[in-house]
This record gives sequence, structure tokens and C-alpha cells, in this order.
Amino acid sequence: MVKYIKGLFRGIGSLLTGMKVTFVEYFTPKVTQQYPENRAELKMFDRFCGELTMPHDENGNNRCIACGLCQMACPNNTIRITSEMVEDPETGKKKKRLVKYEYDLGSCMFCHLCVNACPHDAIRFSTNFEHAVFTRSKLVKTLNKQQS
Amino acid sequence: MFDFGIVTNWIHTQLTSVMPDGLAIFLECLMIGICLLLLYVIIAIIMIYMERKVCAAFQCRLGPTRVGPWGSIQVICDVFKMLTKEIITIRHSDKFLYNLAPYMVILASVMAFACIPISRGMEILDFNVGILFFMAASSIGIVGILLAGWSSNSKYSLIGAMRSGAQMISYELSVGLSILTIVVLTDTMQFSEIVMRQADGWFIFKGHIPAVIAFVIYLIAGNAEVNRGPFDLPEAESELTAGYHTEYSGMHFGLFYVAEFVNLFIISGIAATIFLGGWMPLHIPGWDGFNAVMDWIPGFIWFFAKAFFIVWLLMWIKWTFPRLRIDQILTLEWKYLVPIGLLNLLLMVIVVVFKLHF
Amino acid sequence: MENRIDMKEKIAAMKPSAVWSEAGDGMFRVPATSFRSLAEKLRHEEGFDFLRSLTGMDWGEEGLGCVYHLENTSTGENVVLAAIDPDRENAGIPSVHDLWKGADFNEREAYDFFGIKFLGHPDLRRLFLRDDWKGHPLRKDYDSSLNPLNMENEETSNDAPSYEMTKDGSYILKRHPLFEDQEYVINIGPQHPATHGVLRFLVSLEGETIKKIDVHSGYIHRGIEKLCESLTYPQTLGFTDRLDYLGAMQNRHALCACIEKAMGLEVSERIQCIRTIMDELQRIDSHLLFVSCLCQDMGALTVFFFGFRDREKVLDILEQTTGGRLIQTYNTIGGVQADIHPEFVKKVKEFIKYMRPKLNEYHEVFTGNVIARQRLIGTGVLSREDAISFGATGGTGRASGWACDVRKRHPYAMYGKVDFKEIVLHNGDCFDRYMVRMLEIEQSLNIIEQLIDNIPEGEWQMKVKPVIKLPEGSWYTAVEGSRGEFGVYIESRGDKSPYRMKFRSTGLPLVSCIDTISRNAKIADLIAIGGTLDYVVPDIDR
Repeated sequence: MVKYIKGLFRGIGSLLTGMKVTFVEYFTPKVTQQYPENRAELKMFDRFCGELTMPHDENGNNRCIACGLCQMACPNNTIRITSEMVEDPETGKKKKRLVKYEYDLGSCMFCHLCVNACPHDAIRFSTNFEHAVFTRSKLVKTLNKQQS
Repeated sequence: MFDFGIVTNWIHTQLTSVMPDGLAIFLECLMIGICLLLLYVIIAIIMIYMERKVCAAFQCRLGPTRVGPWGSIQVICDVFKMLTKEIITIRHSDKFLYNLAPYMVILASVMAFACIPISRGMEILDFNVGILFFMAASSIGIVGILLAGWSSNSKYSLIGAMRSGAQMISYELSVGLSILTIVVLTDTMQFSEIVMRQADGWFIFKGHIPAVIAFVIYLIAGNAEVNRGPFDLPEAESELTAGYHTEYSGMHFGLFYVAEFVNLFIISGIAATIFLGGWMPLHIPGWDGFNAVMDWIPGFIWFFAKAFFIVWLLMWIKWTFPRLRIDQILTLEWKYLVPIGLLNLLLMVIVVVFKLHF
Repeated sequence: MENRIDMKEKIAAMKPSAVWSEAGDGMFRVPATSFRSLAEKLRHEEGFDFLRSLTGMDWGEEGLGCVYHLENTSTGENVVLAAIDPDRENAGIPSVHDLWKGADFNEREAYDFFGIKFLGHPDLRRLFLRDDWKGHPLRKDYDSSLNPLNMENEETSNDAPSYEMTKDGSYILKRHPLFEDQEYVINIGPQHPATHGVLRFLVSLEGETIKKIDVHSGYIHRGIEKLCESLTYPQTLGFTDRLDYLGAMQNRHALCACIEKAMGLEVSERIQCIRTIMDELQRIDSHLLFVSCLCQDMGALTVFFFGFRDREKVLDILEQTTGGRLIQTYNTIGGVQADIHPEFVKKVKEFIKYMRPKLNEYHEVFTGNVIARQRLIGTGVLSREDAISFGATGGTGRASGWACDVRKRHPYAMYGKVDFKEIVLHNGDCFDRYMVRMLEIEQSLNIIEQLIDNIPEGEWQMKVKPVIKLPEGSWYTAVEGSRGEFGVYIESRGDKSPYRMKFRSTGLPLVSCIDTISRNAKIADLIAIGGTLDYVVPDIDR
């Protein structure tokens, strides 16, 4: 009987302790981030991997030499490089030149192997995270700017 | 205090002056029915909105914010969405019972809803055994839930229905006992009478200890009666996906959903009526100035304020505690609430006999 | 490791037919016919009661077989056995499911992948693949064109096959029904809110009481081990994050450590230290999610959100350094992907300060709650013997009184140098399983606190060759994952891709014991048991 009554009061006590915690929570500021509204001030960490990009300088040149190491390093065949051989007008030597750098975001698993493999830091991950598109084919992106 | 009876009487005299009595009463019934259903829907919408906001606040969230100011239109949009959804028929279900079940639930809920006195003169069903009628009407809901579980031909639904059968029938007892405690104090079973007796102090103050115990038991049992967490086993979403209404879709599901929320309001409304004085303002004997100020506030505001306060209390409980197990729910009822309720009833009888109440 | 030399002589004496092979970690190769008696001796006389890992193997010309990693939990001795049957078409190895209960599911897996018939196994169904799958995919002679994309529904069978060997060496196939006709069998999963993923339980009920559970897994089997065989070592790293996604750091740590061990590469103190801190942060993340999900399963949704609120802080710290939230891709062979972020130390300290009082909040709102205690205490009791026999490591094993923490058993990285307590509770019920994790969060905070100010200077990436080739041999490395021992077994033939790579799943032993511990419990208890066992389905299915 004593145990019964003690148990009863201890139980009610524990319930009230729990209710105290939620009551305090009721009046604390909320942590919800209202995403589309806070787009302006929402900043991702600079190391966040959103998608693979190929930085271009102000003249529209990238540093890719079409060596294909990233393509080989990729476990998912996410990267496809098309290159052509051109003759350097100054030295007359034949040189590989990048024509098209295709990257399929849909099959990328962000393993960093391509970035690690690149000898010229021509590719890196950007922090863009808004990837939603309507068809899968739109996920295949051409990273290099077509030179005119 | 404004008596709503003046308005109803005026309408009655206006109607009888232009048409025979029978037709007038028929028209009045129709009007009252429409008003009742409208109020029912509005309460349901307010309750769902409140649930979403309150539970969000307990969970460090914001709740709906997008549709309308503070998301206030969200629920109305949801209602329209629900209305446009297809009602799927289950192939091996018992079609008749399957379609009947949600209406049974809603019928019980509307009948119980009609018992609540909202303001002076605003009682729809008010007769000398009102409490008895309320108890009887609200129990019909169990039949609907059992039918829903049985007829959908799903194992989850069946287990949910059986759980709710065991649970609701058990907890009916505690609800009855705690209401009975107050009936002992008031010696009437008519809701309007019960409210009137609380003009000089609410029963929770007048009945002091036994009334407070009865109030707590009533809240627990009432919460279990309407299948809300921590007693939401019949629809325990992590165990039985959705319990007895797993197979329902569209507005059939909507009826269960609405009934659940309005039932919560009914339980709170009855608690407000019999323990917290219903639409009766807060009166402190001796403080005439204070009492006069309180009387300025209309009765229905008092009623809704009290009822929603209790709703909030029950939501607070729901969003704090984990769910019980079926055997624990029955243990709680039969080993704790019923014995305590019976003792409490005895205590109340002693209090009344020896005039120990205020 | 000295013990093993002793064991080597003992085994050689016990079974002269056992051949010691040195390459890598080394192992005893035993013909299938004499394997059973050796296993029995090791189990009963030498006390090897813990089957760490069971790996099916296809050795090509030598035949098919299994590699058994055994441990004696009282002395800490380890031994590696390989049972080989040269008959490729009809390979049969005696089952050891009665010696180590954990072998049950593992043998089903080996049967599924290699077609090895385990003689005497009572329920030799496929574990991951469909019943109508043709062939056995991890065999080297498997033809993948046999199984085009199948759009038909799987026929569910209600019987369990078993194989017995006759005197003349042929097999008899027997079938036993799983459930009787009149049993009330209910499907929990594959799509169910409480199975935490696509796991399916067939539950036979009597009223609300559970009579029997049959676990079906494989709904997200991705064939990761098969995939690894065609990839280079750096490429295989990406998969580990996707096994147990709440233990991405530790899983990858295990694989990197295993490859480094095989390469003979010592990584710098700084790398060890960073890896340790990251592992512990990941553990806190995982345990917080465990608490949230358990509470959600039990209907306390508010605690669920509390857990996610706090987990967000860990994820932010991880994201700032690694660039990922769930899939971190941080450890690399011989180092880490990037040095810690300049703000890392400050943020971790802030987090530790934030987290300690919050833990108290969990205790107030959930641990002490009378309803939670009533539901958790005394339900789903897993005895210490069963825990060891099933190989249920991690919090589950430690709640049963088995000190199974790899961080203490085989210290790796910085764990030998930091001071922390291994939480061991003794009741083995749901409540202890819950408490172990709650207390481990505190211990993890302690570990991080000790290390965070003393991260030694040094390089964060050792020099490794661009093409990584492992010498011939086999290696096994285990780390303490978020939910138990996560091991990696690599068998190399000297190529740049593994000959066989096996991940010891932390979750498979946990689901294999669910039938034992939830008999005669209620459905609601099953949910609590599933919640406290804390399995992650992609880790089971691989």
C-alpha cells in the first residue's frame, strides 16, 4: 500500500517535471529557419559541397588541360570530357584542349576524388544547393564556358 | 449577464405570428441544426489550427506560417483539400459498415456537442438528465470506431479498434465517476442548473479537495476517452500506422479527424462547465465591484476561454508524454483511477453530508 | 597478439589438417570436412564465444568457403579460420549456427552471395536478394546477364529450406513451414513508421502478444561489396558513408585504417587526433538521433524535435570542416580530406558547453518519466550470453553487461591515450540500452574535451602514391561504430582493387536477435525494442 501511494506520487512528480521542461520550451524562441524567406542572409559554409564547378577567370579561361584524371578517378562515370588536339601556334607542338566538360549531378556522390585528382585545381565544389530541376537530363551540366 | 433566451424567444414569437406552431418549431429546429453544425465545423477548424500552433511551440518550431497571416488560413485550405480527395473503397471490406462507421462517430460527437451550454439561454439540449444523455451519446462513438476497424478488413485497423474498445469502455467508468462526484455536490443532472449553482463560486473551489481530485481524474479519463496522446493507442502511428482509420481516405478520414478534435473540445467544454463554472464569470463573494466587472464580460467568452484553456492543458500533456502500452492503460484505469475515483466519491458524499463545502 | 602464437600451436595440435597461411593478418585454412569439429573445440574448450565476422569467399580454383573471425571475450584472444570446400558446384560447409547464434543470418548471407550450402542450417533462405534470383552474385563466375531488371512481384514463400548431407555426399533438401495456417501474421514493414527504413518483420500475434518474428531484409541491398570488387581502393571509400549513414566517419575510418594497415602506412598524430574527435562527434550525432527516434516511436514527439535541434549543432560543426552533413567524405587513405576549419576548436568547445545542460533536459522530460520507465524497464531483455553469441555489439551489448567496446578491446587512433569510461549496464532491457547511449554521449563529450585543446601539429594528409595497390593477403580492422563493432575485411591479390571486401555490419546481429528478445512481448514493446536496438537499415542490407 505504501509502495502504491509512493509510486503514485513519484509518477505524478516525474510527469510534472517533464511538463515543466516543455512549458519552458513553449516560451523560448523557436529555431525554425524559414528557408525561402531567409535566402538573402542564408550562407552556406565555404566548404559545403553543393555541386562541381569549374572556376573561370575574367577572360573566360579555365585551368583544365583535359588530362582526364578526374574522369578516371570518378567511381560513377559522372564526368565526361571531350577534348581535341590543337597545334600551339607559337611552339608548333600538339596540345590537348578541352572542348566539353560534362558533369552529371544526378550520379555524383561528392566523394572529392575528382577534385583531389586534378593537378591544376581546375575544378572545385561550390556551395550552391538549389538543384531542383524537372527532368534528369537537366542535371547533366556543361562546366566549361564555350569559348567563342 | 445577457440572457440569450431573449433572442430565441423573440424569434419564436416572430415566427408563430406568421405561421402555425408546428411549422415554426420545425423551422426553428432546422435553424438550430444548421447553427450547430456550423459551430461544430468552426470549432473543429479552430481546434486543428490551435493544435498545430501549440504543438509547434512546444517543439521549438513555428507551425504553419505560410497561408494567411500566421498560417491561419492553412486549416481551411486543408479542409478543402480533404473534400476534393477521392474516397477509396477497399476491395474486401464490408462496404455498408465501412461507409457507416465515420457517420456513427460524427453523430455521437454532434449529439454530445449539443449538450454543452455555451451561454445563458444558449443551451440546445437541456433537460433534467442532461448528464446521463451526454454520457450515453458520447459512448456511441465507440461503436463507430469498432465498426471502422472491423469493416476495413485490415489487421492494423482491427487491432486499433480492439484497443480502442477496451480503452474507451474502461475509461467511460472514470469519466462517469468523476462527473458523479459533482452531481453529488449539486444534486442535479441538468447542465444549465449545474452552471447556475456555480454563480457564487466554481465547483472546483466549492468542492475543494474531492472536486480537484475529480477534476484531475476527469481530465485524464477524458483524454483517454477521446483517444489522444498519451492514450492514443488506437491510432498509435508508430505501431499501427493509423489504427482504426488506416484504410480510410478523403472526407471519411476527415470525419474521424474532425470528430477527434471536436471530442477533445467537448471533453474540455464539459470540464469547464461542471468544474469551472461554464459561462459563469469568476465571482468572489464579498468583492462586489470585482464581480460587477466580471459580469461585463459576456458568458460565451467566459465559456470559450475556460474550454480552450483546458484544451491547451490537454495539448500540453499530449505533447510532453510518451504513449502508454495497452496493459498499462488498463492498469492505470482499473488500479488507479477507478479506486481513487470511488474513494473520492465517498469523500464527496462525506463533504456534502457534513456540509464541509463552501 | 602474442597470444595468437600460442593459439597457433594449439590449433595445429588440435587439427593437423589446418594450414597456417601468413599473408596479411594470417589465418588457418581448414578443409570443410574437418571444420565443424575444430569449431566445436574452439567454442567449447577454448572459449571463443564471439563470432566477430563471417565472410563468404570465392577463392577461385581453391574453391568456395568462409572466413571466421573469432574472439574469446574473456581473454581477448583472436583467431581467424577459413573453411574451404573445393567442390565449386556443390560447396557445403557445416553450419555453426548452434555454436554462435550470430552465424545464422551471416550464413544465410553467404548462401545468398556464394551459394554455399550450410549443412544443418535450419532456415537457409536467401537473406538479401529475391527468392527468384538466378545464381549467386559474389561468385567470380557469376553472369550478371542472368538477372535483367525484374518487374514482376516476388512470390512470397512460407517455408524455410534446409540442407542435410547423406552418407554418399549428396544433399537432401527439406522444407519447414515458417508459420502455421491459423496464425495471425501481421506485416510490420517494409513501409512502416517504426522500422526506421525498409525492413520488414512478419509478426505472428496472439492478441497483442508476439509469438514469432521473421525478419526480411534486403529491401535496400545495393550490392556494395560486389561493387567494391571492381573499384580502386580510393573509390571504395565513398560507399562506407552510405552504409550506416549515422556512422559515416567511423565507417570510413575503419576502411581507411584497414587499407593503411595493409599498406604499412603510419598516419601522423594529428590525423589520429582529428579522426578520433570526428568519430566522437559522429557518435554524439548518432546517439542524439537514437534518442529522438526512440521517443518518436514511443509517441513523445516533442523530445524528437529536441534531439533534432541539438543534432543540428553537431551537423553544423561537421559541415563546416567536411563540407557534408550526412555524407561527410572526410577520411582519406593516409589522412583526411581537409585540415580542420579554423573555427572548429572554438565551435566544438561551445557545443560541449551547450550540450551538457541539454542532456539533463532529456533526462527530465523522458528518462525520469514514469510512462517511459514503465514501458522500457524489463522489456526486451537480451542476456549477456545471447548478446555475445549473436555478436550484438555496441550499446546493445554493453547494456547486457558485455564490455564489447572496440575502443577498449583493441584501442586504435587516440583511444588508448584518452581517459574515458566504458559504459556497461547489466539488465539488458530496453531502458539500459537507452541509458547506455545517453551516458555515452557524456563520455564522448569527455573524450572530445580532452583532445580538442591538444591537437598536435603535423600534416593532415600523408604522402601516398597516386595508385594504391595492396600486397597479397587479408586484413581485418574494426572500429567502434555508432552502434557497434564495424569491421572491414579486405582480401587482396595485389591489385589496385580488392579481391573481396566485406563490411561487418553493425546492424545485422541486432536484427537477428530481435526474434529471441521480443517473443511474448507486446506489439508496442516491439517498437520500443526496435528503437533501442538502434539498427540502421542500409547498414544491414549493404
